[in-house]
Amino acid sequence: MFLLLSVALIFMAAFATPAIARFIPHKQRFLFALVPATSFALICSKASDIAQGLAISEDYTWIPAFDINLNFRLDGLSFLMALLITGIGALILTYASGYLKGYEANTRFYTIIQIFMAAMLGLVLSDNLIAMFIFWELTTVSSFLLVGFNHENPDARKKALQALIVTAGGGLAMFAGILLLGNVAGTYQVSELITHAEMIKNHKLYEAIVILICLGAFTKSAQFPFHFWLPNAMAAPTPVSAYLHSATMVKAGVFLLARLTPVLGGTSFWLHLLVYVGGFTMILAASLGLIYRDLKKILAYSTLSVLGIITLLIGMGTEFSFKAAIMMLFAHALYKATLFMVAGSIDHETGTRDITRLRGLRKVMPWTFAAAGLAALSQAGFPPFTGFLAKEYFYGSALDHNMKILLISSAFISSMFLFVLAFKIGFHPFLGRENKKIHAHEAPPTMLIGPVTLGLLSLLFGLFPGPIAKYILSPALASFNTTFHPVKLKLWHGVNTALILSLITLTCGFGLYKLRKKIRQNATGVDDKLNIQFDQSFANGLESFIKFAKWSTKLIQSGSLRSYMIITISAFAGLLLYILLYVGGMPEFYKFSHVKPITLAFLVALAIVTIVACTTLSRMTALLSLGVIGFGITLIYMMYGAPDLAFTQILVETLTVVMFMVVIHKLPRFKDFSTRRKKAFDAIFASIVGMTVTFLVIKAQNLSSKNPVSQIYAETSYLEAHGRNVVNVILVDFRAFDTFGEIVVLSIAGLGVSLLMRNNKKEDTE
Amino acid sequence: MSPLLLPLLVPFIAALCCTLFSKSLKVQRSISLIAAVFHLAASFNLLQNVRSEGIQVYLNGGWAANIGIALVADLFSSIMLVITGLISLVVLIYSLKEMSDKLQSRAYFPLFNFLMMGVNGSFVTGDIFNLYVWFEVMLLSSFILLAMGKKPDQLEGAIKYVTINLFSSILFLSGAAIIYAKTGSLNMADIAMRIAESSDEKLLNSTAILFLSSFGIKSALFPMFLWLPASYHTPPVSISSLFAGLLTKVGIYAMIRTFTLIFPLNNGLLQEFFYVIAILTMVVGVLCAASQFEIRKILSVHIVSQIGYMILGLALFTPLGIAGAIFYLLHNIIVKTNLFLFSGVILRKKGSCDLKKIGGLYKVNPGFATLFALSAFALAGVPPLSGFWAKFVVLKAAADAHEYLLLGSGLAVGVVTLFSMTKIWAEAFWKKQPEEYPGVGEDTGNQPWQIMLPIVFLTICTFALGIWGELIFNICVEAAEQLLNPTEYINAVMGEAK
Amino acid sequence: METLIAILIGILFAGGVYCLLQRSLVRLVIGIMLIGQGANLLTFAASGLTRKHTAIIKSGETILQAPHADPLPQALVLTAIVIGFGFTAFCLALLHRTYKTLGHDDLEKFNTTDTDK
Repeated sequence: MFLLLSVALIFMAAFATPAIARFIPHKQRFLFALVPATSFALICSKASDIAQGLAISEDYTWIPAFDINLNFRLDGLSFLMALLITGIGALILTYASGYLKGYEANTRFYTIIQIFMAAMLGLVLSDNLIAMFIFWELTTVSSFLLVGFNHENPDARKKALQALIVTAGGGLAMFAGILLLGNVAGTYQVSELITHAEMIKNHKLYEAIVILICLGAFTKSAQFPFHFWLPNAMAAPTPVSAYLHSATMVKAGVFLLARLTPVLGGTSFWLHLLVYVGGFTMILAASLGLIYRDLKKILAYSTLSVLGIITLLIGMGTEFSFKAAIMMLFAHALYKATLFMVAGSIDHETGTRDITRLRGLRKVMPWTFAAAGLAALSQAGFPPFTGFLAKEYFYGSALDHNMKILLISSAFISSMFLFVLAFKIGFHPFLGRENKKIHAHEAPPTMLIGPVTLGLLSLLFGLFPGPIAKYILSPALASFNTTFHPVKLKLWHGVNTALILSLITLTCGFGLYKLRKKIRQNATGVDDKLNIQFDQSFANGLESFIKFAKWSTKLIQSGSLRSYMIITISAFAGLLLYILLYVGGMPEFYKFSHVKPITLAFLVALAIVTIVACTTLSRMTALLSLGVIGFGITLIYMMYGAPDLAFTQILVETLTVVMFMVVIHKLPRFKDFSTRRKKAFDAIFASIVGMTVTFLVIKAQNLSSKNPVSQIYAETSYLEAHGRNVVNVILVDFRAFDTFGEIVVLSIAGLGVSLLMRNNKKEDTE
Repeated sequence: MSPLLLPLLVPFIAALCCTLFSKSLKVQRSISLIAAVFHLAASFNLLQNVRSEGIQVYLNGGWAANIGIALVADLFSSIMLVITGLISLVVLIYSLKEMSDKLQSRAYFPLFNFLMMGVNGSFVTGDIFNLYVWFEVMLLSSFILLAMGKKPDQLEGAIKYVTINLFSSILFLSGAAIIYAKTGSLNMADIAMRIAESSDEKLLNSTAILFLSSFGIKSALFPMFLWLPASYHTPPVSISSLFAGLLTKVGIYAMIRTFTLIFPLNNGLLQEFFYVIAILTMVVGVLCAASQFEIRKILSVHIVSQIGYMILGLALFTPLGIAGAIFYLLHNIIVKTNLFLFSGVILRKKGSCDLKKIGGLYKVNPGFATLFALSAFALAGVPPLSGFWAKFVVLKAAADAHEYLLLGSGLAVGVVTLFSMTKIWAEAFWKKQPEEYPGVGEDTGNQPWQIMLPIVFLTICTFALGIWGELIFNICVEAAEQLLNPTEYINAVMGEAK
Repeated sequence: METLIAILIGILFAGGVYCLLQRSLVRLVIGIMLIGQGANLLTFAASGLTRKHTAIIKSGETILQAPHADPLPQALVLTAIVIGFGFTAFCLALLHRTYKTLGHDDLEKFNTTDTDK
C-alpha cells in the first residue's frame, strides 16, 4: 500500500490545494512541503530492504484487458529517483513559499507543481511502460503549465508551447516505441521484458524500437538536436527550473534509458547512438554555456551538458560506467538544484541575473554564498565533494573503455568547461568589489534552508560515502545489471590516472575561468546567433508548418461551392469508375433489342428537354422544361405498370411547379455567371458522372436477383394483408415505418417552410 | 409495447405536443425535458435488455423481418442510443439559457425532437431503405435548425450543407435501390445472408462505393467533408454542439454497420480504400484545423480529423480496431459536444470566439479554465483522460495489424491536435485581453446553472471515462465482437421469421 | 429498352450535376430536382422493368400472377417522391430566404463562412 500511498498522497494534496490554500496565509505556505516530506519518509522507511538488493512491488489492476496495470516497483534506481523527487521537492516547496510570496496566483503554482511531483514519482515507480507513459505525459503537461506560469508574458507562452511540442512530440514517438515493444514481447512490464531481452534484440523491429524510445528520452532530457527547449524553458519561475529542469523532469529521459538498459542495451547500435548523441550534447552545451551572462541560461547549459554525460555513460554499457552514471545523476541533482535556488535568490534579492552586473554579494548574502560555494565546488569536481566522486568514476570508466581516446578527451573538455560554469555562478557574483547600483539583502530563511541543506549534503556525502554506496550505488547498479552485489565507494583511491586527470582538469579549469571575460567578449554576438539559430529553426519549422496548413486549407477549402461539389462528386465518381474499369464489372450492353422508334423518340425528346432545362436563361423555360421532364417520367411509370406512382408523380410535380412559380418571380433573372471555359468543363464533368451512373444501372439490371422478397408480397398480400393493390399494401402495412417517416418528413418540411417564409421584420434582426 | 419502439415514439410524441403548444415555451420546455429524460431511461433499459438477453428485435406488424421492417437493437445500437439520450438531455438543458426565447419560439423544440427521432430511428432500424428514411428525417430537421436564425452566414452555410448532403442522400437512395436489385431484399440481415451465399465480389464493390460515398459525406470523410467547416460554426452554440456531437457520428454508425454486416471489409480492395481515406481524413482535417483562428471553426474542423481515427479503427477490421472505433466515437461525442458548450460560454463572456480578439479567461475564471483544459487535453489525447484510451486502443490495433504507416500518422496527428488545443489555451486563456478589443460579452458574471451543469457533468464523464474506462471499453469489445460475427445478428433478425 | 432508361437516368444525373456546378442559386435547386428525378427513376428501373403488368391482384385471384411489375421498388419510389417533395419545398423556401437576406444569388460570393475573408 505504501508506494501507492506515497504517490496518491501528493495527488490528493494537489487537488485539495485550491480549497485549503485560502486558509493558509502566504507566509506559512511552506507547510505544503510537509506532503512530499511525508512521502520521502515513507520511501526512506524501505531503505534497509533496498540496501539488501530487494525490490518492493505493489500491483493494482487497472485495465487488465490490455495488460495495463499500476505496477509500482521500488528498486535501487527508482529508490534513488524517488528520494530526489520527494526530498528536493520538499525543499523546493519551502523555497517557493519565500520566492513566490508576492505572486497573487501562487495557489495555482502549488497545485500544478504537486501534480507534477506526483506524476514524476509515479513515473519512476511504474514498472508498466504504459502506466509510466501516462505519468510521463502528465509531467509534460504540468511542466507546460509551469513554464508558462507567467502567462501574460508572450515570451513565456511561446517558450512553454515550444517545450510542450518538443517533449510531447518525442513522447508520442516513445509511445509508438512502447506499443511496438509490447507487441514484440507480449508484455509492458519492464521486469518481464528483461527476460525477453535476447529475443527483442534480435527482432527485426529492434532498431525502430530503440530509435522511437530514444526520441522520447532525448527530447525529455534535452539531448542534441532537441536541446534548445531547455534553455528557453528558463522563462519559468526559478523554483520550477530548480525542480523540473535540474533534478527531476529532465532526468526522466536518462532514467528511462537506464531503466531499459537491461532490455535494449548492450548492442553496438545502442552504444553508438547514446555515446555520440550524449557526447556531442555534453561538449556542445558546456561550451555554449561559457558565453552566456544570464545565470539561469548558464545553469541550463551546464545541466544539458551533464545530461549528455549521463546519456553517454549509460550508453557505454560497462559496470564502471553505470556506477559513474548513478553517481553523476546523484551528485548533479544535489548541486544543480542548489545552484538554481541560489540563482533564484540572487534574482529575487537583487533584481538581476546578469553576471556582468553581479559582484561582491558575499557580505550581504553570506548564507547564499556558502550554499553556492559548496555546490560550485562539487560541480567543479573538487575533492571531497560528491561531484568529485562522480567525475573520478567518469574518468575511470572512460579509461576502462575501448573507445578510450575519444571518451577521455571529450570528458576532459566538458569537465573543464563545467568547472568554469560552476565558478561563474558559485563564485563570480559573490567575490570582487560590491556593485553600488545594486541594493541587495540576504534571502529569507525559507529560501536558505533548501540550498544550504543540499550544499552541505554535497560535501557530507563526499566525505562519508559509505551510506551512498550501501543505499544508493549498489542497489541502483543492480537495476542495470539485474544482479545485486554490494559495491564500495571510497574517496581516496591513491594516485591513479583518473586522479591525475582530475587535477589537470581543475588547473586548466581555473585558468580558463580567469579568461572568462575574454571568452565572453570575443564571443559577443555568437551566443545570440547560436541561440537564435536553433530557436529560429524551430520557429521557422512551426511557421512553415502553419503556412503549409493554410495553403492546403485554401486549396481545398476555397469557399466555392462549385469546387466543393467537384471534389465531392469526383471522389464518388472516381472510385466508382476505378472499380468498374479496373476491377471489372463493366456491364455488357445487350438489352438494346426491340426498341420501338416511338419510345426512342420519346426518350430523345426528354434528353433534349433536360439539356434545355440546364442551359436556358429564361426562368419560365426552365420551369416549363422541369414540368415536361416530370410528366415524361410519369409516362415511363405508366408504361411499366406503376399507376400509383404515376398518379403521385403528377400530383407532386404539379405542386412543385406551382411552388416554384410562387418563388421564382421574387428571384432575379438567371445570370450567366460562369465563363465559357468553366461551363465546358462542367459539361464534360457532368457527362462523365452521368455515364458512370448509367453503367452502374445497367450493371444492376444485368445482375438483378432471381428471387426478390417481392415474390413473398405477391403471395401474401391478399391472403394475409387483405389488399389487392400490392404497392399500397406494402406502404401501409408491410413497410409502414417508411410511410411513418415520410409523413414526419413532410411535417418537418411544413415547419421549415413556414419558418423561412414568415416575413416578420422584427424577427429578421435576430 | 416493445422497448424498441420507445426511442422512436418518445421524441415523436414530444415533437407533436410541442407543435400543439407552440404558443407556450414553458410547456414546450417541460415536455422536451421530460421526453429527454424518458428517452435516456428507455435507452438504458434497452441496453440492459440487450446485455442480458441478447439482440432485441421488433417486427413491424408481426411480418417476417425481410418483408416487413424490423427494428433491431444490438449492443452497438443500444450504446449509441444511450449516448444520444445523454447528449440530447445535456444540450437541451444548456440551450434553455443559451438560446434566446425568440429563437426557441421558432419551432426549436419540435425540430429538436424530430431530429432525435431521426437519429434514433437510424440506430434502431434493421432495414436499409428505412435507414434512408430516418436519415432524411434527421437531415431535414438539421437543415432547418441550421437556418433557423436566418442570419446571412447561417443561410450561406446552410446552402452548402444542404446541397452536398442532398447529394449524399441521393447516392444513398440509389445505393439502396441497387442493393435491392442485386440481392432482392432490403433487410440488412437478409442482404448479408444473400450476399454470403452468392459470394460474388464484383457484384458488391461498385455498390459499396455508393454507400461509402454517401456515408462518407455524412460523416465528413476526406475529401467529402467540405460542407462541415462551412456550416457547423454558424448556428447558435447549442445547435452546433448537438450537430458536432451527434450528426457526423450517425454517419459513422451507418458506416460501421454497413461495412461490417453487408460489405465486410476483409475484402482487400475496399480495405485499402479505407486505409487511404482514414489517413487523409486525419491528416487533412488536422491541417485545416491548424490554420484556423476561431474557436468554433477549430473545433469543427477537428471533428473531421477525429472521424479519421474512427475510420482507421473500422478499416483495421479487427475486434480491437472496431472496439477502438466505438470507444473513440463515445469519447468524441462527449468531449466534442462539451468543447462546443465551452465555446458558447466564451461567446457569452467575450462576445467573440476569435482568438485574436479575446484573452484573459484563465486569470478571471480559473475554475472554468481548468474544466476547459481537461476537455481540451482529453481531445488531444493526453492521459489519463478519455481521449488517450480512445487513441491508445485504435493505435494499438494498428500496431497489432502491423500497419505502421497508420500508427505513425495517428501519432503525428495527435501532436498537431495538441498544438491546436494549446493554441486555444494560450490565446483565449493565458493571453491578456487585447487592448484594442475590449470584451463585448453581455454576460461576464457567473453563468446560470443551466449553462454550467452540462459542462461540469460532461467534464466529469471525460475524466471518469479515462480512469474507469474499462467497464465501457469492455462493452465496446463485446459490441465489436457482435459486429464482426454477423451470424448472431442475422439469426436474431431472420431466425424469428421461421 | 432498359438500357435506354439507364441512359436517360445518366442524362438526368449529368444535367443535375451540371446545374449544381453553376453559380446561380436557382440552378442549384433545379440541379437537385433533376438528380432527384434521376434517382427515383434509378430506384424504379434498377431491378428490371416489366411492361404493362401492374402489381395489382386481379379480382378472383388470391396471388399476384407472373409476369408482374415488382411492387417493392414502386413503393420505395413513392416514398422517395414524397420525401423529395418535402425537400424541394424546403429548398425553395431556403432559396427565397437566402436571396432576400443576402440580396444576391451569386454562389461564388457565398464564401464568408469558410474562408478568412
